[in-house]
This record gives sequence, structure tokens and C-alpha cells, in this order.
Amino acid sequence: MTDRSMLRAIEKRAWLRTFEHGMWDVGIGSIFLLFGLSIITEFPALAAIWVASFYPALRQTGRKLVVPRVGQAQFRGRRKRAMANTTWILTGVAVMGLGTFLFMFWQSSAAETPAWVEWITQHFVIFIGLIWGGALAVSAWILHFPRLYAYGALMFGSLLVTDLIEGYHLGISLTIVGGIILVTGLLLLLRFIRKYPKQDLTESENHGQAT
Amino acid sequence: MAKRREEGTPYEIDRTIHEPARLLVTAHLYVVESADYVFLMQNTGLTWGNLSSHLSKLEAAGYVEIIKEFVQKKPHTMVHLTPEGRAAFDAYRLQMKALFDDLPG
Repeated sequence: MTDRSMLRAIEKRAWLRTFEHGMWDVGIGSIFLLFGLSIITEFPALAAIWVASFYPALRQTGRKLVVPRVGQAQFRGRRKRAMANTTWILTGVAVMGLGTFLFMFWQSSAAETPAWVEWITQHFVIFIGLIWGGALAVSAWILHFPRLYAYGALMFGSLLVTDLIEGYHLGISLTIVGGIILVTGLLLLLRFIRKYPKQDLTESENHGQAT
Repeated sequence: MAKRREEGTPYEIDRTIHEPARLLVTAHLYVVESADYVFLMQNTGLTWGNLSSHLSKLEAAGYVEIIKEFVQKKPHTMVHLTPEGRAAFDAYRLQMKALFDDLPG
């Protein structure tokens, strides 16, 4: 192994450790779950409420659970860009999803529907599957985070089935996919908490100052 | 190419970096922009005491900067390699590479 590849291995190991805690899975799963529930309950604001309140709370909880256990690091160059790009992609897709639902609700209440809208409406589940599944796969590729490929495939497969099976509800499909991702994240989080006991930051920092 | 001495050790090796634990710490700091104590401890397997003493030596050599701050009223320490530290690590890598490349077949 050359010195460069050893450094790459060190960097990759440290980077992959940042996904071990499952908080990404909890975040992604909960947003799909709430999209699903917002369709079932016909209450589109549910997803918006998630973005406004639950997401910041989740970030805070993540910080409190993760940082005292494995610490934090600012990565350099391509990793930094990868994280920023993925955040933009996932935020954009979430906003697009919210827009699609609002469009659906508007369309269902409109008296006359143009032909192109009708066509999109008939196939929109496939579009959603492609966009969301694709966004997860692209994020997996950018971040080198393999679990996201599985979630992308699960999302696309689930929405394909929804389109093929007559009467199968999109809301139920999204709720199931979101639920699976959320439960996976919670299990990973539990494993993470067991594997990495919380470090007493005060003691350690004082230790650091003493030497 | 690494510098050769006239006598004694054929290569001037930076002993501040060469020590195994400090090499591990420096390598981890080299691949990130900055990291905190917990991150370094988890990734290097060093204890608090060890890590602190090695970081103090690296700081004394001017290779790392230790920034103490308060996050939500709790002390939090971030560490990053200084440009001198980064250059020293690069030089060390080249020296070691040259040293082993020079070994007869």
C-alpha cells in the first residue's frame, strides 16, 4: 500500500464513520413517511411542518447523540463539496415533492384539466419514483454512501408497483418505504449508541487543558 | 529528494512526526480540515492523556493549532494542522518514500 492510498484509507474510514449513526436514515425515512401520511390524511401541510420544525429538532438531537460519542470533523475539498451538493439535491427534491403534492391537490379540485396535466397525472407516480430514487442514487454516488442506493431502489420499486397495481395508494407506498428507512435508521442509531459510549466532554476537555 | 547528512543518520527524519502515535494523529489531521478531541481519540485509538500530550508536542513544534471554544456552555476543542504542519507532514512522507525507494532490490 502506498503512502497516498494509506492516507486515502484513513480518510475514507473516518468519512464512512460519519454515516454509521443512522441519523441520515432517520431524516430521510421520516420525510418520506410524512409525505405518505400527508397524502393519506389529505393534509399537505404535514410535510411543510416537518421541514419547519421536526427537521431542525432532528439535527439538534443528532448533534447531542453523535458528537459526544464520535466527535466531529470538518472534511476537506471533495467531501465538503459532496456534502453541500447532496444537501442541495435532497432539499431540492423534498421541495419538488411538496410542490408536486400541492399541484395534485390543486389539480384534483380544478374543474377542467388540460390534456398535458392529465398525462402527467396518469404517470406521475413513475416520475416521482424516478426523481426520488434517482436523487437517492446520485447522493449515494456523490457521498460514497452505499445504503442510499438501496433506498433509491426501494423507492423506485415501490412506486413502480404502486403504478402497476390498480387501486394501490401512493400514500401507503410512501409510508411503507419511509417507515422501512426510518426503522433502519433507528436500529442503526441504537447500535451506534451501544457501540460508542458517550464521552464526558467536560472531563476530557479539562484533561486536554491540563497537559 | 530527501536531504542526506554527511555522517550519522542518512536522512533527517522529523522526529516530532515520526513517533508512531503522533504520526497517526498527524495523518488523521492531514486528511481533514479540523477535528475535535473525541474524533481523534476514536479514530486513532489513543487515550485522552496520550492524545493530549502528543497534541501538546505537536503544538509546541508549531504543527497544530488547538482552538478552545464553548458550544452550548460546554468546552469544545478543535484541532487543525497549521500550514507548517502540513508542509512538515508532506516532507516527512517524501523522506520516508525516498528512504524505502533507495533500498536495494
